[in-house]
Amino acid sequence: MEFDDKVPIYYQIEQYINREIIVGNLAPGDQVPAVRQLALTLTVNVNTIQRALAELIRDGILVSERGKGNFVTTDTAVLAQMKQRVIEDELAETYDHLAGLGMAPAEMVAALEGYIKERKEGGSHD
Amino acid sequence: MTEALAIQGLGYRRNQKQILKDINLTLPTGQIVGLLGANGAGKTTLMRLIAGSAINFRGAISVAGVTTAPQRKAQVSFSAQMDGFNPSWRVGQVADVMTALFPDFRTADFLQLAQLLALDQKQRIKRLSKGNQRKLQLAVTLSRRASLYLLDEPFDGIDVMTRKAMLSSILRWTPEQATLVISDHHVSDIDQLLDQVVVIKDQTVVAQEAADTIRTQGQSIEAYFESFYGGEQHD
Repeated sequence: MEFDDKVPIYYQIEQYINREIIVGNLAPGDQVPAVRQLALTLTVNVNTIQRALAELIRDGILVSERGKGNFVTTDTAVLAQMKQRVIEDELAETYDHLAGLGMAPAEMVAALEGYIKERKEGGSHD
Repeated sequence: MTEALAIQGLGYRRNQKQILKDINLTLPTGQIVGLLGANGAGKTTLMRLIAGSAINFRGAISVAGVTTAPQRKAQVSFSAQMDGFNPSWRVGQVADVMTALFPDFRTADFLQLAQLLALDQKQRIKRLSKGNQRKLQLAVTLSRRASLYLLDEPFDGIDVMTRKAMLSSILRWTPEQATLVISDHHVSDIDQLLDQVVVIKDQTVVAQEAADTIRTQGQSIEAYFESFYGGEQHD
């Protein structure tokens, strides 16, 4: 995994695990790999993983079971809220970028609609 | 809890020249710390003093609660600790010598590390490439069970793929309660591993900051480090 060096890494790992859940690589009730394993897989330090997991547990995304490990919550309402937050973050970023180019909200909507139409017709797959 | 490292009022002169001055530094247990500074800033000297291989300093150095140089040597695994080894020795012999010198040296760990880093046990030290010498130093350093690990520019002359194997070794073999200090002047080698950074400039510690705090302000560790050197460092 490539990290943005200007954003706290624990936060990027939180986002990474959220995305793994959204795309279904981690399902509700699944066990998350052990801290040390995650540290090795992502080449970051154990404290960073622990902080990311602590934040996810605090948010209710993960549930810690003493002596067993961490599991993705089976509370689908919590997961739906998380997905909504991730989508809003993406939208906020895109909005800021487009606003930075001087686009008005109406122009953004028109541009996005036009883009989606073009993608559909072009049959692009990326 | 005892700190991994506590330095108070450290000053060091050699040949009537001030090498380090007014150093105060405390590091907690269980962290990975980047010791950053330009070449010649005093990073190696500071490590030698902590490890007990340089003496006659002013001030106090304590590692995991112990203060004398021989006691500190037993607590610190320093990447330069095999510098005096006979260059004709083979990689495999290094383990025997380390076992004799340090009771906490684990030959089984060394063999695994040497294999992971693709070091040939039969090769003589002097025949190793610069990169392989760095790998051997790393394998030797991580094979001890110490409280404090000091890695002095471990990635100097190392290619990208080898660096990955070395970073994995560091993460896998450093005991959780131990603290690891890595000196480097190429911050991007190590920045994703670090809990905090310590910046050395003008013979002293000019900054100590948590990596998360730096990044929360939207700054990279590299930019943070460079802010102390004002673009004067190029290599």
